[in-house]
Amino acid sequence: MVSKKLAIEVLNEALATGADYAEIFYEDSHGYSLSIENGKVETSTSQVANGVGLRLLKDNQCVYGYTNDLSKKGLVSLAQSLRSSFKGERKITVEKLDMIRAKNRNPVVNSYDNVSREEKIALVREGISAIEELKDPRIVRYIGSFVNSHRFVAIFNSKGKWFKRDSEFGRLAYVTVVANQNGFETGFEGPGCQQDISYFRTVKKPREVALKAAKTALLMLDAKECPSGKMPVVIGNGWGGVLFHESCGHPLEASAVSRGLSCFSGKEGDMIASPIVSAVDDSTIPNAWGSIDIDDEGNLGEKRLLIKNGKLVNFMIDDFNGRRMNREGNGSCRRQNYKYCPTSRMSNTYICNGKNTPEEIIAATKLGLYAVGFNGGSVDPTTGEFNFGCSEAYIIRDGKIAEPVKGATLIGHGNEILKKIDMVGNDLALAEGMCGAASGSIRTCVGQPTLRVSEITVGGRGGELK
Amino acid sequence: MKYDKFFELAKAAGIEEAELYVGESYSLQFSLFHSEVDNYSSNKSMTILARGLVNGKFGTANCDSWSSQRAQYLVNEIVANANVIENEDPAFIFEGSKKYKKVNTFNKELGNISVEEKMKKLFDLENLIKKGDPRITEVAAVGYEEEASSSTIMNSKGLKLTQKSNYFVYYAEAVAKENDQTKSGFDLYLGNNFAEFKPEELAKEAVRKTVSQLGGEACESATYKAVLAPSVVKDFLNFYIGNADAEEVQKRSSLFIGKLGQKIASKKITIEDKPLQRNVFARWFDDEGVATYNKPIIKNGVLQTYLYNLTTAAKEGVETTGNASRGGSKMGISPFFVALKPGKKSQEELFQDIQDGVYITSVTGLHAGLNPQSGNFSLQSSGFLVKNGKIDRPLDVITVSGNLVEIFKDVQEVGNDVKVFPSAVACSSLQIKKIVVSGK
Repeated sequence: MVSKKLAIEVLNEALATGADYAEIFYEDSHGYSLSIENGKVETSTSQVANGVGLRLLKDNQCVYGYTNDLSKKGLVSLAQSLRSSFKGERKITVEKLDMIRAKNRNPVVNSYDNVSREEKIALVREGISAIEELKDPRIVRYIGSFVNSHRFVAIFNSKGKWFKRDSEFGRLAYVTVVANQNGFETGFEGPGCQQDISYFRTVKKPREVALKAAKTALLMLDAKECPSGKMPVVIGNGWGGVLFHESCGHPLEASAVSRGLSCFSGKEGDMIASPIVSAVDDSTIPNAWGSIDIDDEGNLGEKRLLIKNGKLVNFMIDDFNGRRMNREGNGSCRRQNYKYCPTSRMSNTYICNGKNTPEEIIAATKLGLYAVGFNGGSVDPTTGEFNFGCSEAYIIRDGKIAEPVKGATLIGHGNEILKKIDMVGNDLALAEGMCGAASGSIRTCVGQPTLRVSEITVGGRGGELK
Repeated sequence: MKYDKFFELAKAAGIEEAELYVGESYSLQFSLFHSEVDNYSSNKSMTILARGLVNGKFGTANCDSWSSQRAQYLVNEIVANANVIENEDPAFIFEGSKKYKKVNTFNKELGNISVEEKMKKLFDLENLIKKGDPRITEVAAVGYEEEASSSTIMNSKGLKLTQKSNYFVYYAEAVAKENDQTKSGFDLYLGNNFAEFKPEELAKEAVRKTVSQLGGEACESATYKAVLAPSVVKDFLNFYIGNADAEEVQKRSSLFIGKLGQKIASKKITIEDKPLQRNVFARWFDDEGVATYNKPIIKNGVLQTYLYNLTTAAKEGVETTGNASRGGSKMGISPFFVALKPGKKSQEELFQDIQDGVYITSVTGLHAGLNPQSGNFSLQSSGFLVKNGKIDRPLDVITVSGNLVEIFKDVQEVGNDVKVFPSAVACSSLQIKKIVVSGK
């Protein structure tokens, strides 16, 4: 750990050439991962990471560096090397550091550090057994894995503040590969949480998770190829939120907005979505995968209403990018680890509940696609062009869910798709994923209730929808 | 020696054979926004991956700095992790190949060039893009990244090998607007000979890629004849060649199972793994310390070999191909430099060949829209309509779908427009019989 005294010294070294902000990010983390493949424990790996990232800001310029040399000499030399980017007089001197205390909404009662390898293996094996009990010859490969990480972070900045964050995560995942004369398919399920192992005993149970991965793969194996063209699409709750995450979430991050590089730059107050759409980024949901009590700049977690009845009202903002927008950060500054310079990112982002039941939405759709499982997607925030791939989908015929189809990809422009949402359900659910962007790979939740987009371009190999 | 302590502790803890992989790297990065350096970063970092055999099973542990405390941590974790392993595959710590063909492509000069000089070319690049076309409204990002790294493998069998490499990248992303349409385009240059980089060329290409997309609309949904640009072929090749991974074959999840010696692609297709090619990707030993060599994977459409590490090779009683590649916790398999053998025709001649069809210049979202198991894909893409053997107009908001294996079977011609990509792939355009496009 870096002492307060040393932190003050390093900050003042860093500020000597005119930087208007300096920040030390200290990280000491460790983790464990295991995998069981075709019934046998195949890998078991431990890791530690310990380093310091130092960030200096001057107006709209940012300088970042990191080191594993945590001695006074190592840190001072990093500060001296980074400050050489600026050629000016000192503006700030740090005299003292006061601690910011944040409410701990994500307590992990029993640390994963005290759970033995054997117990973690037994947990994964419960799901493995469930797959084996299916005795389905089409299952050719099945992998179960468990990952946990324990991350201690202490941040000291030239606003005279310091704070720490101690967090733990666990994630259980299953992959199933199935094959027959039609070829191969895979199924994946990977729930995660910011709480102890009891979550996987009471909420997301290994047997259910594993069977879902196996059954989706088997269902898709014999499914027909998805038709292509423009059609109405009902998007299922939970993972369906990838649509919003890609098409709208990323373009609402200050990193793009502040530079005028987002399709939503300068659109605050405008109607960017259908009036039945409201959306939120909430880092305060207790124990949720994407929650943070305090961000990397010392701003507290918030529930940010992004879209209110179709109107754009807020963004994910960090202090640095906020400078170009004349706005303060709102608790969105995040990074993967000390090797990444932080920036504005999402936490738990979702579309709010509407009025319809999922059944009503399906029943109101004569011919279209019902997409419920997703592989993820990507977006170009500047143009708003996004895509996401479906891992589980069905055709809707005469208001009823009909045959399964595979290989569907949905594409479009974020600003257009949000306006075409014409029904929103009342069954909001969140789903856990990893989101990759400039400041690395971080934990985020996507989410939404079941909703319908009146028309979206679907890519598939199955010809015209009839 | 700095790392002796680890091997002493390992021996004392009953670890039969032990190995350390030490990666050290120096990186420098900076980018400009509106002619101002907005991000600058310079770092040194270390990756240490340790493994050891206990009762013939591998335990692994990783860290990012070195001290005697860390050495003890690695040893303790290796033993505890090895004790829970059940997999019975043969496990090896390698004593060394008889002969290594060293390739040194590390360019010392790069480190001697001043940051100012590197930055000057970046300012030039930004200016050139701004002036490149009146429809360019923004230079979203221009940046420079440089990395010099060394990788050392040392083990209790006395093997110690080190290779060094370095490279730099200049990248540019431009934004163009016309009427209500916004398009962005990206391009980069990768190499390790600084004098060879010409900002003019990169700027020209980034501008061309951006403005050429303006004025597009979707085409009719249909099956088209197609030319795939090298940047698209590169994305497909990475996934396609993944099927040559012997572990995937042994675990029955490869599309190349049982295809050895068989024709799996068009006879125009020859794909090689060339770790000894003299470029920034050169690797003369793999992650188990085995000497690498150049070899065809597919020759004239016929599958020549799978790619092996020591374990998968031992399981089949064959020699490793020197393709061991380490992930965080596992010794995997990977080609080091995938090269598609070029053909004779220029891109223009390929357009002439198809007369009417599509020219696909980008595919995105491969992690979500391509199923590596089945090879089926449906991807957001962009490109141009080809009419009467010439590029007609850009295409906006389309997807292309098909199957990886079918694509390579459907190749009618390979172009001569070779491009090298940072993902360690060299390839040129492909002319293919058909691709399904979903548009209007």
